[in-house]
Amino acid sequence: MAGGVVEKPAAHDKPRKHYLNHVKTFGSWLVTLDHKRIAMMYLCAVSFALLLGGVFALALRTVLWNGTPADPETSILGATMEQFYNKMFTLHGAVMVFLFIIPGIPAALGNFILPMQLGAKDLALPRINLLSWYLYVMGLVLFVCVLVLGGLDTGWTLYPPYSMGGGSQSQHVWHSLVLAYMAVFILGFSSILTGLNFIVTMHKLRPPGMGMYDMPLFLWALYATSLIQVLATPVVGITLGLSLIEHMFHVGIFLPQYGGDPVMYQHFFWFYSHPAVYIMILPAMGVQSEIMGTFSRKHIFGYKAIAWSSIAIAAIGFIVWGHHMFVSGQSPTAGIIFSFLTYLVAIPSAIKVFNWVATMYKGSIDLKTPMIYGLNFIYLFGIGGLTGLFLASISNNVHLHDTYFVIAHFHMVMVGSTVNAFLGGVHLWWPKMTGRMYNETLGRIGAILVFVGFNLAFMPQFVSGTRGMPRRYANYLEEFTTFHQASTVGAYILGAGIGLQVLYLLYSLFKGKKAPDNPWGAASLEWQSESPPDFHNFTKPPIMMGAYDYENWEYESEEAGWKLKPEVIETRKTLSKVH
Amino acid sequence: MTEAAHAHHDHHHEGLPGTIGHVTPLKTLFKVLTALLVLTVITVAVAQFDFGRLNVVGAVGIACVKASIVSLWFMHLRYDKRFNFFILVGSFALVAWMIGYILFDTVLYQHNIQEYKRDQQAPAKP
Amino acid sequence: MSTGVADHETKHDLPARPPELAMHFDNMHQQFHSGKLGMWLFLGQELLFFCGLFTAYAVYRGNHQEMFHYVHYFLDWKLGAVNTVVLLVSSLTAAWSVRAAMLEQRKVLIFTLLATFICAGIFMVVKYFEYTHKLHIGAVWGGGFNVADADLPAELVAKYPDMTGAKLKEMGAGSFFAIYFCMTGLHGLHVLVGMGLYIWLLVRALKGDFNRRWYGAVDNVALYWHIVDIIWIFLFPMLYLIG
Repeated sequence: MAGGVVEKPAAHDKPRKHYLNHVKTFGSWLVTLDHKRIAMMYLCAVSFALLLGGVFALALRTVLWNGTPADPETSILGATMEQFYNKMFTLHGAVMVFLFIIPGIPAALGNFILPMQLGAKDLALPRINLLSWYLYVMGLVLFVCVLVLGGLDTGWTLYPPYSMGGGSQSQHVWHSLVLAYMAVFILGFSSILTGLNFIVTMHKLRPPGMGMYDMPLFLWALYATSLIQVLATPVVGITLGLSLIEHMFHVGIFLPQYGGDPVMYQHFFWFYSHPAVYIMILPAMGVQSEIMGTFSRKHIFGYKAIAWSSIAIAAIGFIVWGHHMFVSGQSPTAGIIFSFLTYLVAIPSAIKVFNWVATMYKGSIDLKTPMIYGLNFIYLFGIGGLTGLFLASISNNVHLHDTYFVIAHFHMVMVGSTVNAFLGGVHLWWPKMTGRMYNETLGRIGAILVFVGFNLAFMPQFVSGTRGMPRRYANYLEEFTTFHQASTVGAYILGAGIGLQVLYLLYSLFKGKKAPDNPWGAASLEWQSESPPDFHNFTKPPIMMGAYDYENWEYESEEAGWKLKPEVIETRKTLSKVH
Repeated sequence: MTEAAHAHHDHHHEGLPGTIGHVTPLKTLFKVLTALLVLTVITVAVAQFDFGRLNVVGAVGIACVKASIVSLWFMHLRYDKRFNFFILVGSFALVAWMIGYILFDTVLYQHNIQEYKRDQQAPAKP
Repeated sequence: MSTGVADHETKHDLPARPPELAMHFDNMHQQFHSGKLGMWLFLGQELLFFCGLFTAYAVYRGNHQEMFHYVHYFLDWKLGAVNTVVLLVSSLTAAWSVRAAMLEQRKVLIFTLLATFICAGIFMVVKYFEYTHKLHIGAVWGGGFNVADADLPAELVAKYPDMTGAKLKEMGAGSFFAIYFCMTGLHGLHVLVGMGLYIWLLVRALKGDFNRRWYGAVDNVALYWHIVDIIWIFLFPMLYLIG
């Protein structure tokens, strides 16, 4: 079946063996070295993190429905309304950033797809992959402990001096901070190991005949992401390690009362965390390139430009961190230099958007669910990227710093782009990963709900931000009421959209139609495997061809999906590598 | 292609047939150790004199030479794939960038801290 | 490129698919170089990990030159130099062990692995005496720095007779020791991990696990050990010699 070479005999008596059912014990999942199984476990875990972070978001938006200070007598989970709000926005940020967005696309989708797009049997270092997964689980468990032990109220950035061993904090926060530092430290190493593994795999397991420029753009994006993961994440590791030591022993590196320098913490933190926002967006851009080509049925426009703009974004990511610190006490000279450097990011980002739009031009656009997410991505990333330019200019930034404008800007990029691409990618590869089709109509409704809800939630925040609404406050002036209530309604619609997806995707696992090997007519190598793939990924060696040569495929039927044209099979040599 | 050529190349040196990688001669290893020990003596000797701001330049400079020797011969980067070399050089460049820029900024804002400390120590004005 | 290697390998009388070769690799070369590239990326990561501490050092030294100069007399450069020599020798034995593994000299391999482990042990013993002395006289981090005038290092008193412990505390000597303990502590932690790795290699070498195409573990641990050495090469002059 792979490669559409021979028709599969209709053998209904024996279910086909594939990676999900070749061994069925629970223990076989715990010690598996198979990248596909590890990816599926990651997918479940990051989805859980997404829902957890989403619940926190809805909780804080609910608090913000009313702007007036709550009655101090009202207590919610043993805290006043304001304390509850502080914990909710901290945990929302921390869980979403460290547990969902950073591992989301690379570790879940990338883990599954990367070796298959190379025609390989696994990642180069499967045991490192399993280690990375268990480190992630440890981080997740520690964060759940933080939650149980009373939560955090420092903001996800954990800035000193408020965070570290301040005298006014309750014992609960002291303990949960220790756990939070450890959690982020461990999650960082999970992320490093994933990135390291990806780079080695792309260098060493590319089959003969596939150069770097023959790789799908998703892999270029993952390559750029992995470079950042390997080179930037250790810095946050040491920062949080030092913070932990500072928090427990007051050694005086970050805390001013012991001779430390809190601005240096911000330098260290953003030296990682600015590149980290590109860990979040680059894989999303990779998914976007795959979606745009596949559903426009047209070779991706400007392959090399997209590929190198990913690397450029990764590289520029390391020289702009100070734009998070314009009002922190950083010297004005450094601020001006960072402001100029920050504008550079716009160039490769704009190159990508231009190429996606040009890919759609005169393409045969098929508005399947992933494509709707793709269109959402372009629109929202456009707004998120352009408002980033406002914030990059230092004089504007002083006015807009720590207002809802910033919130709206980075949610446009992080949620509007990354979460949309994550959902688009899940829908694109769902048939391959699970062997089942989801309900297309519900899928489209879900995508539109996400779009409407998201815009309703964040567009008003641009306005309230420019009018001076500061972030991280549980109360607000009466004039902001409309904006906040619109945001809250939008958040609930967004939540409903995501909830709907969880329901129909779970339903499809049990009752969904069997997926054909290639339901979309996509051309990268993973679509030549069976759905779901065999334990060894390919039962027949995949036929080497361009990742965007859609003309090699022809539509057969809904049940059989797309097949390679017979003449293509004859003219192409098979890969000697897989068998 | 390059790997095969490389493996062939190895056979002209000592080593069993089919060995992966380059076998470093024992003589080279001991020469490297000697060079490192001599450089250690030089570092200590140089540190006996005070060159003011240049102290750190000398110390770090000699350390960089030593680190290069260790990485080129002990870590056999000289005979290894060029990409591994780029990783090391790239990481060092990033380290230098981070140290350099943060140092640059902290030196520039240091006077703010000093002024703050002076204000704290000054007797409160009525 | 890998097909070339496969052809090349069949020229020698070695099995086409050795038992050590994992199922997702084509040949031993590919497997070996994958592991090695992974190790090099890990080492790049290590450098950036230490980078935070080196930056902290640069920032505090850059802004407190005088204090760093006074306080560095607390560190005994003779002990530091002994440790440097010990680590350099261990680097030699580590590199030698790789050579021995490639040449399948089992006895030399076991000897060099053991020698590396012992050198690491000597390093940690010296470190232990340095640490306990500093903790004993109260030369510690942050606000905890409290050294009696009688405990000031002789070299410091000889050069600056009117120096007192209280003055040093006032100057922020605690910052120096915060950085000193963090840097050498993290480095020491890496030495301990290295000792564990060498024990593991010893056990495997005694079992006869390694051969000319399957010595990646020895090579990669040696690479790790060399980077630990390189970091010490920087720490020694920065902390002990110039302060």
